[in-house]
Formats: sequence, C-alpha cells, structure tokens
Amino acid sequence: MVQLASGTQFGAHWVRVLALVLGLWTLVGTTQAAALKIGLAAEVTTVDPHFFNTGPNNAFLHHVFDSLVDVDADGRLISGLAESWVAVDATTWEFRLRKGVKFHDGSELSAEDVLFSLARPAQLTNSPGSYTSYTKPIVASQAVDRYTVRLRTATPYGPLPLDLSSIFIVSKKAVEKTGTEQFNAGPAAIGTGPFRLVAFHKGERIELARHEAYWGVRPEWDTVHFRVLASDAPRLSALLAGDVDLIEAVPTADLARLKTNPRVSVTTRTTWRTLFWHLDQFRDRSPYVTDLAGKPLDRNPLKDVRVRRAISKAINRQALVERSLEGRAVAASNINAPGIFGYNSEIAVEAYDPAGAKKLLAEAGYPEGFGLTLHGPNNRYINDAQVVQTVAQLLNRVGIRAKVETLPLSVYFGKARASEYSMALLGWGSLASDFTLRSIVGTPDADRGWGTWNWGRYSNPAVDALVQSALESVSPEQREDFARQAAKLALDDVAVIPSHHQLASWGLRKGLKYDGRVDEFTYAHEVRSVK
Amino acid sequence: MSAADQAAVMRDHPLRRWIRAYADSRLALAGLGLLVLIVAAAIAAPWLAPQNPYDLMQLDMLDGRLPPGSVSGDGELRYLLGTDAQGRDMLSAILYGLRISVVVGVAATLLALLVGMTLGLVAGYFGGRFDALLMRVVDIQLAFPSILTAMILLALFGQGIDKIIIALVASQWAYYARTTRSVAMVEADKAYIEAARLLGLSTLRIVFRHLLPNCLPPLMVVAALQVAAAIALEATLSFLGLGLPVTEPSLGLLIANGFQYLYSGRYWISLFPGLALLLTLLALNLVADQLRDVLNPRLRKS
Repeated sequence: MVQLASGTQFGAHWVRVLALVLGLWTLVGTTQAAALKIGLAAEVTTVDPHFFNTGPNNAFLHHVFDSLVDVDADGRLISGLAESWVAVDATTWEFRLRKGVKFHDGSELSAEDVLFSLARPAQLTNSPGSYTSYTKPIVASQAVDRYTVRLRTATPYGPLPLDLSSIFIVSKKAVEKTGTEQFNAGPAAIGTGPFRLVAFHKGERIELARHEAYWGVRPEWDTVHFRVLASDAPRLSALLAGDVDLIEAVPTADLARLKTNPRVSVTTRTTWRTLFWHLDQFRDRSPYVTDLAGKPLDRNPLKDVRVRRAISKAINRQALVERSLEGRAVAASNINAPGIFGYNSEIAVEAYDPAGAKKLLAEAGYPEGFGLTLHGPNNRYINDAQVVQTVAQLLNRVGIRAKVETLPLSVYFGKARASEYSMALLGWGSLASDFTLRSIVGTPDADRGWGTWNWGRYSNPAVDALVQSALESVSPEQREDFARQAAKLALDDVAVIPSHHQLASWGLRKGLKYDGRVDEFTYAHEVRSVK
Repeated sequence: MSAADQAAVMRDHPLRRWIRAYADSRLALAGLGLLVLIVAAAIAAPWLAPQNPYDLMQLDMLDGRLPPGSVSGDGELRYLLGTDAQGRDMLSAILYGLRISVVVGVAATLLALLVGMTLGLVAGYFGGRFDALLMRVVDIQLAFPSILTAMILLALFGQGIDKIIIALVASQWAYYARTTRSVAMVEADKAYIEAARLLGLSTLRIVFRHLLPNCLPPLMVVAALQVAAAIALEATLSFLGLGLPVTEPSLGLLIANGFQYLYSGRYWISLFPGLALLLTLLALNLVADQLRDVLNPRLRKS
C-alpha cells in the first residue's frame, strides 16, 4: 500500500509535467491542424445509419454515430451510449444512458432519441439491406425517464445487447421529418460520434471533422479524409506515394515487400472471418460425388461421419496457412475466431493425418476413395481459389479424386445457398458463436431464421437445443457455456470442417499506430501517432 | 505442248509463285519456322512436359512459387521455369497452355470461317432480302466488341473449352461473312460465272466449285489474322477468370495467376506464359502479314 501511495505521488508529478508538455504541444498544434487521410478498400454507400447494412457502411458510420452498446477491438461488448444494462426479468432489458452526451448540433441525448432510433429501421421499407433483424426481437419499448430505456422481448433473448451494438442512435429532432438523402447531404447526419460529417461524395471521398464535445476519448485528428480506393494497386500506390496515411486490406502478395519498406509499417491481426467447408449431408445421392470412373454414386459418403472426419484429417492446415495463404491466416478448430464470445478452446485443430484418413475411408467402405468436386469463390476471401485447389490436392493424396470449380461470388453464393454443391467453402464472421451456429449448423427453418447458411443441411436436434438454450440465456456466462457445448457437439460430429481464420492487415505511414480490429473495421479515432 | 512450255507452266503455277513470293521475306520465314515449332510443341506437350499440370496428384503445394531452376521437394524434378502457387511446373503448364491456345485458335477459326463463308457466299451470290437481312445482323454483330459478345456468352454457358470455342465463333463469324460477301459480289459478275450459268451448271456447283475457290485468297488472309485474334481473345477471357477451370490453366489464366506476384519479385509465374503468348501471336502475325502481301495482287511486285 505504501508503495502504491508513493507511486501515486510520483505519478501525480509526472502528470503535471506531461500536462505542461501537452499544453505547449497543443499551442504548436493549433498552427498545424492534424489531418488523417485513409484509403478505404470498399465504397461507403450512404450516411443514413439505418438504410443499408453492409460492413463498409457500418465501419464508416461508427465515426459519426454511436450505439447503446459498443464493441471493443477484440469483439467484446463495452458500454457505448448506455453506461450499463441489465436484464430486469427474463424478457425485460433496462439500459441506463450516459448523462450529458452531446449531439453534433449541441443538443443533449435523451431516451426519446433512443426510442426513435430503435423504431426507425422498420420504417425504412425501401432499404436494400435492412437493420430490422437487430430490432425485430423488441416487442415493446419504453422511456422510464430521460436516461433510462426499457425494452421487452417476446421470449427470453440473451443476444439483445449484441444486436443493439448494430443500431446507431440518431437525433430525433434532426431526422424526424427527413429522408436518406438529407443524411448524405448533411443536415440529418447528426450523431454523437467522435467526428461530424463535413462532406460526403458518394463513391469518392468523405470529409469529417472532430466533434469537440465527444463524450469518449478525444480523437487525435482535427480532420479525417476517407478516399475510396477499391482496386488493390492504386490503394497501395496511394500509401507509398504519401497521398494517404493509412490503407486497409493491404494486397496479400505485396505484404512481404511492404515489410522491408522503411517508410511504412503494417499491422495484422486475426479477424472474426473464419473459413470452413460445408458438406452435403441431406441427399442420398449428392450431385458432385461420383465413383472412381466418374459416374454418379448411388449413396452419399458425406453422410458418414467417418468420411467427414477423414476429409478433415486429410487437410494439412498448417501447410495450407503457410503456403497457399502465405501466412495470412491461422489454422481453425472452431467456426468462430479465438476470443469471440462462445469460442471453445477445448476443441483442438484437427491434426494432419493422411494415414488415419485413409484408414477411416476404408472403414467407411471406400478403401479406394471416390470422386468429389469442390466448389469455392474466386474473388471473395484471401487466395480463395488457391485454397480450394490446395485442399483438392490434399484430398487426392488420401484417395479422394477431388476436382475443383471456382466461380465469381455473385454466381457462387446463389448456387451454394440453393445447396447445389457437395462440398463448398464459406467464410463467416460474427461476434457470438451461438449466432454462427444457428446460421451455419442449425436445422434449416426459414420462418425461424435458422440454418439460413446451412448449405449442407446438417441437422442435429441436440445441437439445436443447446443453441436455443444459449440464445434464451440472459446471463452472459450461462449463454457462453451453452454456446461452447453446442460448438463441441457439432464439431465432434464434423457438421462442417473448420479450415482457417483470416488475418486482416492495415498499411500505415511511419509514425502512425493502429492495432486493428477483429471486425476488420478501420476507425480513425483509434489511430494514434507515435514517435 | 513442249517440255519447255510445260516447265514454264509449272513455274507459273500459282502455288509455286506464292511460295516463292512468301520466301522473299526472311522475317516471314522466321515467323513460319517459329509457328511450326510452337504448334509441334503444343501437339507433343504430353510427351515433352516433365509433369501433367492438370493432374492434382502430381502437384505438391509445398513446391509452390519456386524460382526457375529449383528442384522439387522430393528431388525428382527440376523446375526449369519455376512453379506457380500450386506447385505446378511452369514449363509443363505453358506447353499444355499452348495446346489449349492452338486448339481453341484453330477450331474457332475453322468453324467461324465455315459459318461466315457459307452465309457470305449465299448473300453475295443471290443478293436480295436474305443479303440485306444478313448484312444488318453482321452490322449489329460488328458493332459489339468481340470481347463483350464472348463474355456474355460465357457467362450464360459456363466454363469449358467447347464453350470458349462457341463464344469465339459467335463473336468472329461476322468478319468472314462480310469479307466473303464483298468478294462474292464482285466475282459473281465476272464472265466465268456467267459462262458457267450458260452451261446450265447447278447453282450449288457454281457457288462451291467456281465461286468459292476464287473467294478464298482474301479469306485466308482474314483467317490467318483471326487465328491470332482468337488466341488473344481466349487468353483475355481466361485472364478475366472466365473460360477454363482453374485446375486446367491456359496461358491467360497462368498470366493472371502470377499477376499479383509481379510486385513481389516472383516474375516467372506471369513472365514465361506471357512470353509464350507473345511469341505465338508474333509468329502468327508475321505469317498472316506475308500471306496478305502474297495473296493480294495489288501489292504483288511486278
């Protein structure tokens, strides 16, 4: 305790020195405004935070708007505009708002703005990508007082705080009588976020200025300029030429070269995006499974867990990650990334075991293997076409005559979602594993929104029950425990074959620091300058 | 006829005259030699190539992206031109890729020639409504860039070498139709055709035995140039990821695969297939140029 006290004394002294230095530095700084220029890899299509739900839009909108619940760089929930939240009973959530939060127009945030914002997605009927899936569970909402909001769900629903991290809070006064175009023009784009909108030129550039009354950590930058540089080469060139200070999605093939360039630095980190293989488990004859002569096989080997396990064992994930992905990924055991809510660290990465795979195939009645065509996209994930080819190569080693077909995303997803393939590659990113499991391995049921991306139509009532229990748990600990059990059960059954977690990368000019985020978002307010 | 006269006739045989005229240019001869070499290499690819680049069993990803001259992990193979990301021997891949280029170029050209020539002959000889209709279709077809026509068709049909050929034929037949028609119209008014008509020969015989052979020289020039165009178009389509499956790369796809590594110094994945394509197109164009000079009476040296 004594030591701590003296430490505090010592600290207080340094705080004073630091304050003086900072004060001087600010004086110098006023003559030269700190500007940050960012090269984005994808277009931001709108400033209306409830209009078009896409990753690039949401990443940008976080600069101007806040949500009740925020997400930290590792994907964990932290307080946003809501200081705290609690499940009052099984179906009622109470959110306590921060006091004194100022909008960009100077007005103060109140519960009315929150209720208005939560109701707005459902009113935008022409939305090309709706936010309503996040607000749908709410059946009633009520402002208890100026700083307290109560939300009711029809059934117990644990993920509500996570859902609300995707709903941006707008100013009721500024938005009430306007439409999407007034957001893009500026007048309605009044948020509480760290930056205010100065200009939005769709598909080209966006200009922001610091919100001086921001409730959170003050961003270092007076102004932020986003430029949309969708093509890899021009984006990289812009960084190297000094036209921008930071770019997202550094082209994979150029990473090695960038690392030796003294004028730039590269940040990489594991992201939520996890790639795995779906296997047709519902048809008795699978369209892309053949015998060794290439004729359709009258039974579906992929229904046999031993065959699924054999395929998993045949995949040399370490070599795949090092060679085909050039170190831009890490081998996966789960279908969620490490650190994500519900990640089960007890599941180990399947060891490369070609002998074991052959043995399992023989046990399952396929000592000579069978023919199989693998499908994957060729323009969606890091080196995706190469990943598919490499896995085909590895399957050939254990006797499965694997062929490859890769297609552009627009064609691929349409066919894959119609379950036209026998073995197909999918990448998925989410902040909670019970969500992922519901979409990926939950028994398909369009009305309930289960198994919407379960291409292989794996179905296991025990997994469904555990996922259901997780979603109904309003206690986070209990929910995470159920989710982990469900993941273990599904993966022990090889419902899908986890392959790898992708890494994301950012290129920065020397003197800047960005730690990266699990959701791959680029936040100007989390970029700092270093000496 | 005396022996000397006969020799003079032989000397003046058009084929001989053409060969002599062709041999005038050393560059054109070199082009022809190169072309013969390339075609021979393409035909003999399965025996020449150290590896079957389409057989996934023979590839080892651990040998991926090795520079030229490296030895494979199992020590059995030397990759003279390096490997691509899948551990595919570039030399083998280029030989097999040339094979695809040659097959696609020749097959597409012959088919397009057949279709375009027949339609053009009929239109040129008979004229009338069919001619007007056909020429409007040709106009419309020629108004679209051939790459666009081919891309639309491939998007509809899907992947495969047969589909590429169909797409190329569909985007190239119009050139032949137009050329044939214009030549046929001129020839149809000439005395020998009139003579044939007066002799009471059947229309079929007149068109295909008398008219057609006299329309051939300009068509051969167009065809020689169009082989090069077909090969370039196939490479472009493959470069764009349409066309052939990734496990059976043609030259265009090989170039596309290496494209992303150009900055990082792994030049060989793009460079060598690019050179192979360049040499093929150069040889074809040299040959076609000289053919045009030889077969065009106006350009012929007196």
